Parts: sequence; C-alpha cells; structure tokens
Amino acid sequence: MATADEARRRPWPSLVGARPRFNRWSALALPAVVFLVVVFLIPLLAMGLRSVTDPPGAGLANYEQFFAQDAYVRVLTNTFWIALLATLACLVIGYPFAYLMTVVPGRFAGLLLIAVLLPFWSSLLVRTFAWQVLLRDTGVINRFLLDLGLISEPLTLIRTTGGVIIGMSHILLPFMVLPMYAVMRRIDPEYGRAAANLGASPLSAFLRIFLPLSLPGVLAGSLLVFVLALGFYITPALLGGLRDQMISQLIVQQIQQRLDWGFGTAMSVLLVGITLAVLFAASRAVRLRDVFGSSVGED
Amino acid sequence: MRRSTTITAFLAIVAIASGCSGGGGGGSAAPSAAASEPAPSDSGAASPSAAGSAACNPERQEGVTLSFVSFGGVYQEAQRKAWLAPYTELTGVEFTEDENSSNATIKTQVESGQVTWDVVDVGNDFGLDVHKDLLEPLDFSLIPKDELNADLGITDYRIPDITYGVVLAYNTEVLGAGNVPAGWADYFDTAKFPGKRGAWDYSESGMFEFALMADGVKPADLYPLDLERASKKLDTIKDDIVFWSSGAESQELIGSGEVAMTMIWNGRGWSAKNIDQKPVEIQWNQQIVTADYLVIPKGSPNKDAAMKFIAYTACAEHNAGPSEFIPYGPTNTKSTANEAMVKDLSVTNADENSAYFDDTYLAENFDEIDAAWQAWKAG
Repeated sequence: MATADEARRRPWPSLVGARPRFNRWSALALPAVVFLVVVFLIPLLAMGLRSVTDPPGAGLANYEQFFAQDAYVRVLTNTFWIALLATLACLVIGYPFAYLMTVVPGRFAGLLLIAVLLPFWSSLLVRTFAWQVLLRDTGVINRFLLDLGLISEPLTLIRTTGGVIIGMSHILLPFMVLPMYAVMRRIDPEYGRAAANLGASPLSAFLRIFLPLSLPGVLAGSLLVFVLALGFYITPALLGGLRDQMISQLIVQQIQQRLDWGFGTAMSVLLVGITLAVLFAASRAVRLRDVFGSSVGED
Repeated sequence: MRRSTTITAFLAIVAIASGCSGGGGGGSAAPSAAASEPAPSDSGAASPSAAGSAACNPERQEGVTLSFVSFGGVYQEAQRKAWLAPYTELTGVEFTEDENSSNATIKTQVESGQVTWDVVDVGNDFGLDVHKDLLEPLDFSLIPKDELNADLGITDYRIPDITYGVVLAYNTEVLGAGNVPAGWADYFDTAKFPGKRGAWDYSESGMFEFALMADGVKPADLYPLDLERASKKLDTIKDDIVFWSSGAESQELIGSGEVAMTMIWNGRGWSAKNIDQKPVEIQWNQQIVTADYLVIPKGSPNKDAAMKFIAYTACAEHNAGPSEFIPYGPTNTKSTANEAMVKDLSVTNADENSAYFDDTYLAENFDEIDAAWQAWKAG
C-alpha cells in the first residue's frame, strides 16, 4: 500500500528516480538542448499557435476544413499506410542484412557497412530518378525483357504503390540497418553457444535468445524509418501512381503557393501530432531510452 | 538525465521528420491570367509614348543596388543578359541575384519586417488583389500599362514580364508519321492515338481546363470551372495518365517516348526538341497563354529604383529581350520578338482557340478545385 501511495504522490517516478544519478558532465548536453528548444520546440509551438489563429479567430476552423474534405483525410491515412509499408519492407530486407554483418569476419562487416552507407553519398532526388530510369515502361528493365522476347508488353513496375515502396526502402534502409546492427553486435555470441550446449536447435536458439535480445534495435530502426517515411513526398510523386499522394505535398502546396499558412500549419500539426502519438504508444510498449539511448550507461 | 536523453531523441526525430521531406514543391508557375476581352492596346496608339520613353531611358542612379530574384537556370540567365546587364550599363544600378523565387519567402520577409528582395519574378498564382498586404502597388505613371497585353491579368501589384504557353506536346516517333493530334480532344482519344499521357500533378495546372476544352467547352466559357464535367472527362484516360512534378521531368518523359503526349510548358517542349534533339513537336491549338510577373515586396528598401527597373523591362524596346535566348515573351504588344524565335512563342501562336487562366477565380476557389483534384485522383 505504501508504494502505491508513493506512486500517487510522484507522477514522474522515473524522473525523480533519475535525479540522484545526475552528474556534472550532463551539462555538456545543455547547448544541444538549448539549440533544440530554440530551433525546433519554439517554432513547433508557434506553428501550433498559428494553426488556430490564422485567419484571426480561426479556432478549429482550419482543422474542420481539413476533415470536411474526404479526399484530404484519405491522403492523411494513405501517408501512414505508405510509411508502414516502407517500414515493413526495410525490416524484411534490413534484419537479415544486419544479422549477416554481425556474423561475418570484421573485414567483410566493414564492406557490408559501406554498402549500407553508399546510398547516403548521392542525393535523394538522383536516386529516385535512377529508379525511374530503371523501372518505367521504356526503362532499362522493361527494354531488356522486351528485347529478350520474355514479355510482349512492358511490365508495370512504376507508378504503383510497389514502386513507391522500392524507392523509399532504398533511401531508408540505412536508418533501419544501423540501429539494428548497433544492438546486435553487442549480443554476446556466448549466449547462443550456451543455448546450443543446453540442447537448443539453432532455430530455437535464434528465436529464444538472439531475436528477443535484438528487439530494441528492431524497434529503434522501425520507429526511425516510420517517422522519416511520414515526411516523404518527392519519391511518391516520382514513383507512385495517382493514389500514392502523401500529406507533405499538400502542406507544401498550402505553405509555398497558396500562402494559406493557417491551413498549412493545421495539416502539419496533424502530422506531428499523430507521429507523437505513435511514439507515445511505442513508449508504452518499450522503454524508449533502450531504443534511442541504448548506448547510454552500457559497454 | 536519462529521461532528457530520451526527450532529446524524441525531439530530434520529430525535427528530422518535419525537415527531411527533401526538395521543392510545384514549379515556377501555376495557373494564370484573367480571361478578359481582346487587348484594347494595339489600336489605341494614343498615350504610350510619354510613359514609354521615360521607362526606356532611365537616368543614372549611381550607388543603387537592387536585388533581383527569379527562378534560376537558363531563364534567369536570359533575364540577366536581356535586362540586368544593359540596365547596369545604362544607369549604374548594380544587381544582386537570388534564384529561389517563392511566394512564401516574400510573405516571410514582409511579415517579419526583414524585406531584402526588391524585384521578384513570380508565377501567375501571385500578385493578385488578395496579396495586397504583401506587395507594393506599382506606379503606372512610369510603367506603360496600356502597351501591355491586357489578356494577361495585370493587377495593381504585378505586370507580366514574359509570356509562355501551357501546350500539348507529342512524340512523333511514338505516334508515327502523319499522326498529328489536333488539340485536346485527341489527347483524350487513346483509341485513335495510343500511348500514355503526361500531366502536371497540380490541381490548377490547366488539366481541368484542357479536359473541358476536349469536351467541347469554348475557351471563353471555361470559368467558372465545371469540375464535375472535367473530372468525368479525366476519368476516361485515368489509367493512361503519367504525372510529372517538374519541368525537367516533363521534358524527359516526352523526349524519351515514355508518354506519347503531354501537357507541357512550351519552353520545355522547345528544349526537348532543340536542345535534347528529340522527336517532339508542339500543338499550339487550344494552348493556355499565361505569364510570369514582376512584383515588389511591401517594404522593399529600394522601392523607387525597383519601380524604374520594372518599367524599363516593360517598355517596348527592351521587353522582348529574353526571346533572344529562350522561347518566352514578350508581354508588350509593341515589342518585337527575336525573329528566329517568333514561331516558337506562345503569344505569336495565340488565336481565338487559345485560353487564358482566370487567376483571380483560381485563387478564390483553390480549396474547392484542389479538393476536386484530390478526389479525382483517389477515386
């Protein structure tokens, strides 16, 4: 009973609990925190304020305007759907890759790391155009197959949701692989050997030992990719079909061309708000500091 | 402190998400120009000269520096060669340039009271009466307004500096010799002209207008847009449409034959043919004639000098200058375009079948038009 009472009196138990561990070195984070507050938090709040005050006395009018248009709401849900698909695609490709990096000798792991980082060295736009050149009706793949006589009509590889997922997962893969690799390489291989000693099959050892231990990395990568994917719109515009519209494009249109900043910020607030809700929900399931702060206090 | 590490990571993620979308929005231009009556300018050679001559022969203004902002590339280079450089020689006015013209930047500058741009080249969706809080009213005692093409939606805050057309371009190799689309009805006829169709993915790109013209609506009767009728017409080629989101992309799509026909800005069609040497031709019939405009942000520190420069670009003698280099312009009806370029200009191909954007209508009804566009795409 005493503990329950205590908990009731302390709504932020973890914060209070953390206080004794405060040390002077954490003051080094102060500039970064100040920077984030000034450059991100304050503008974010200003954006929120604008969404209810522009035009003057707007209140929730901008939000009502948004939800009054079925088409806009569909774009919003579509945004999350595409982000989810891209995350799953990255996970399916990225997990075995990260696993491979942990089991091969160091030299090969370095090569694999370079392979993951390579896409970072060219611009998003260039890579997306490259996919266009490869995938479209008159593109490299279709030309090749047509010339070989394997197909008589070009395959539809582009201007579909599939095309969007291909392009996005190519761009986002490093954000999935790197956090997973960081977690996986810290998993002591002795655990697996111990499991085998105790009679576990390789599969069972993987499922019961390695997989659970790698989950923080999986979650970190997935959250990172998902949240980044929500802001995409160039790739869907170039590789997607008529229905693969994402909300960022509507926001840009309102902010840049229409100059309706009340409506534009309202849409941005919706996007940020739902994103935060996703992160919050995720924080219920896992401890986010394991996910994003996994190196703190370890090793 | 662990808690704040988490929070910091949180914020960083949110920040990345909101800042990482990467790249620009639409193109330079959107829909334009009031669908008004034929220009009253040509015949009435009544008053122009007074304003005209002052505009063409500005006095020396030593020590003045103007910032000029346009859309970069060969376009801004043409403006530089045709207007900026000669103006510096004539008056001593120096220019600093930016190549990232944006309505939003003008709004930001004006709202924050930090106006650094003096003369800005903008698309046809800007410079309207609804933007009066953001722009200086122009001085039409300096600018020869009555010489300017009145179809191009002149307002108190903007004058057109170059014209261009939103046109139909087709790939002659894909369509085959002798198969020439006569207008937008053929764009919508995939039985007679098989192949994909390119279009700008933007609700006020002109696609609703083209759909209506293809359906038999006369250019003069386009506005107010019958969105339902236009959407229905667009439905007929829904599976054949390929969207583009930049001028460069449209040029590539039609040049490579990925699409058989596309709506395109005439300069891009011209480049596909003349720069890229691709089998591309333009059908001028039923084009939409539109323009880019010069404006002065409200509170520009060099307002008066900016006004004189704008007047200089508008005067008959200099207005067609950019057409020496690119297929754009002129907007002054007394100005003579580069002879070699005349056949490739929107204005010289304009006829009774040409349409003009009603910019004011399009600005006032954007939300409805955009919702119809999104609904059509998702439907």
